[in-house]
Amino acid sequence: MWPFDASIESLWLALYLASFALHAVFVSYVAAGTVYALIAALRGSADPIAARARDWLPFMLGAGITAGVGPLLFVQLLYQRRFYTANLVMGPRWGAVVPALIVGFYALYLAKASDQRRRLALGVGAACFGFVAWSWTELHQVMEADGAWRAMYAAGERFHLDAAIAPRLAIWAGAMLALFATVAAWPAAAAERRRLAGLALAGLIACAATSAAVAVVRRELDPAHGWTYLLAAAAIAAALGWGWTARRPDGPGLSVATAATTAALVAGAVVREAPRLALIEHGRATAVGSGGLPVFVITLAIGAAAIAWVVRTARAAAG
Amino acid sequence: MSPIDSTIPYYPVNDFGPLMKGLVIGGVGIVHVFLAQFAIGGGMLMWYFERLGQRGQPDARSFVDGYFKVLVLVSFVVGALTGVAMWFTTIQVGARTIGLMIDEFHWLWATEWVWFAVEITAGYAFYRYGPRLAGPARLRLLALYALASWMSLLWINGILAWQLTPGRWLDGGGIWAGFFNPSFWPSLLFRTAVSTTLGALAGCIVINTMDIPRDRRAVLIRRASRFAAPIAAMPLLALWFLAVLPSDSRSWLLGGSMPMTMFVGVAAGASLLVGGYVIVGLIAQRLYINGATATLLLGLAFGATAAGEFVREGARKPYTVRGVLYSTSIRPDEVAALRAAGATARDPYPLRDRYPTEQLARGARVERALCDACHTMRGANALVELTRTWTDDQLRLNLAKLQRTKGFMPPFAGNALDVEALVQLLRWERADRPAGFAAPAASPDVLAQIARWLDEAGTAPAGEAR
Repeated sequence: MWPFDASIESLWLALYLASFALHAVFVSYVAAGTVYALIAALRGSADPIAARARDWLPFMLGAGITAGVGPLLFVQLLYQRRFYTANLVMGPRWGAVVPALIVGFYALYLAKASDQRRRLALGVGAACFGFVAWSWTELHQVMEADGAWRAMYAAGERFHLDAAIAPRLAIWAGAMLALFATVAAWPAAAAERRRLAGLALAGLIACAATSAAVAVVRRELDPAHGWTYLLAAAAIAAALGWGWTARRPDGPGLSVATAATTAALVAGAVVREAPRLALIEHGRATAVGSGGLPVFVITLAIGAAAIAWVVRTARAAAG
Repeated sequence: MSPIDSTIPYYPVNDFGPLMKGLVIGGVGIVHVFLAQFAIGGGMLMWYFERLGQRGQPDARSFVDGYFKVLVLVSFVVGALTGVAMWFTTIQVGARTIGLMIDEFHWLWATEWVWFAVEITAGYAFYRYGPRLAGPARLRLLALYALASWMSLLWINGILAWQLTPGRWLDGGGIWAGFFNPSFWPSLLFRTAVSTTLGALAGCIVINTMDIPRDRRAVLIRRASRFAAPIAAMPLLALWFLAVLPSDSRSWLLGGSMPMTMFVGVAAGASLLVGGYVIVGLIAQRLYINGATATLLLGLAFGATAAGEFVREGARKPYTVRGVLYSTSIRPDEVAALRAAGATARDPYPLRDRYPTEQLARGARVERALCDACHTMRGANALVELTRTWTDDQLRLNLAKLQRTKGFMPPFAGNALDVEALVQLLRWERADRPAGFAAPAASPDVLAQIARWLDEAGTAPAGEAR
């Protein structure tokens, strides 16, 4: 099934996409949750969704960073030269994502612990995560812009103000809102689920509107061998699920929305990757011939079982 | 030709001003290693204290709950993120090196990632739900956390040790010959001993912050001190590590290179002080240690870690992967081709600065390709200062026979014109970059002499590949 075949590069791609999708769930919760909690703090409202988000944000960021190591590893196998060159061309400005994340991490702990400094901490956190999101989007564009590398390097230009960056960020912002709502809705009460349904629908509409605008401006729509249509169908199903949830918060609408959002996330990851699949660097003999896959598979099974046990233990403790 | 299409991967080179790249990656790496090892030892210590608590030691459990918050806030946050920073910094310093490591060991790196994920999950679960869990579940969760963090060390240790001593991997022995390389076991055991020591010392600091009487704190300190006992094995492990090093690397550590020898001395001296206090004072004489002294010892341990990591990095010279890749990101089997074509003939990236002559511009490109990974022009390990007193012919000879000039330098990977261009660039820099610099035209005789020196030096490194 496209884009997968029997090659080792396909296995790297599958693992890249799977780990990227998992990473996206956590970082979406962090980015959208921080902004949501900030708005609630600025309004001074006692919002249980914001309170829960504040409580979970540090863990979610830790999980997001941990999950992010997977795609970081596999992107270096798929697009090694492009990834390294984009890192180097952007230089210290790219490296600034690390201190931004450290500051953001501690800001989330501060927002959780201190009522007085909550607004400031959440504001700092939102700014840090916004910077990181922008930086990753920019790096993604620089990786593909090999024609611009020499000029950027010669000029010492650390920014790549490509026209595609703003719409990409807008699509991501919508997707993050929908993913945040999906995760946050499960422990939420009925009234809170209605509000989250509204957020998710707003996010999905933002994604759809921006994607449509981009397609119209560019006068092209990449069907990505049908994955784009699958994405659209899953997004519509998610919207219907959220509509159902808004009407009957305790009904099966949330399950439908979650399943459809998961499908949309996977399809979206493939559609996002489709334009650069032709850029995958084949033929590095050392990488293709490398051993150790059985050890990874066995460890993955053990690790998944261990994490499942931890989650079960934690749920039992939570009552 | 697009930079993406060249046979040899060329990457744009960034300049960090007066900081040589080794200092940049060293600074990030030392902090990361220290925190990661503290997290491993801290996890083991907590399992031990939890077990003590469940066997009737009243203050052990409250120590675990207090200590864990410190562990999470410090090592999880900064430790995890400096790990990510290490990836990015390594790309900045040696993209081809990290690329080779990823290519060869990506499944083992992915294995390490799984253990890291288990560590973080177990750690956060304990942080959040530990106080509400029953005793057996607490103990199992801490055991899982400690095991996962140590397994993470095991996998990454093999990859890092391979850089220094690839062993039978060089003969086509495959991934496991590379992973279980000659320095794998001494390095793993050494790092484990360091981890338990760091966990114990940090534990002593936390114990001193506990609001309980001094005699009860003393009981906990004695227990924590036992956890640092593996430091007694470190001299033997260090000797084992030295024994498996390639002979040229060992000779630099033992007097052949005074800066390296001094760092060995700093690491050994600081470890001796920490170990002496722990073994003689805390374990044998059962002395009390206050928070200030424990902090001082932890500071010494940081110094020992920093010096030890410098030694490990330095001992690899002139390689980043022994026998496979020089610190210039050039493979040994590429040197001959670069001697013929020139060091920068295929480098697609332009210079950022302007130079008064074509020859100086060529010199600058050669410097960027062959020197910049380990040297700066005027900052740390400055070329201008290292060569300030050399005559022109001495410069030509020493650069052409680079691996003979210093055994830890790689062979010069360029031709006679490249050597001469670099010589003139250094002269120009030493003269404070005069605008009207007029280099004497390189006579055919001078270039012929340089070519002879290059031929005499050959393209092989000074030392053996292993």
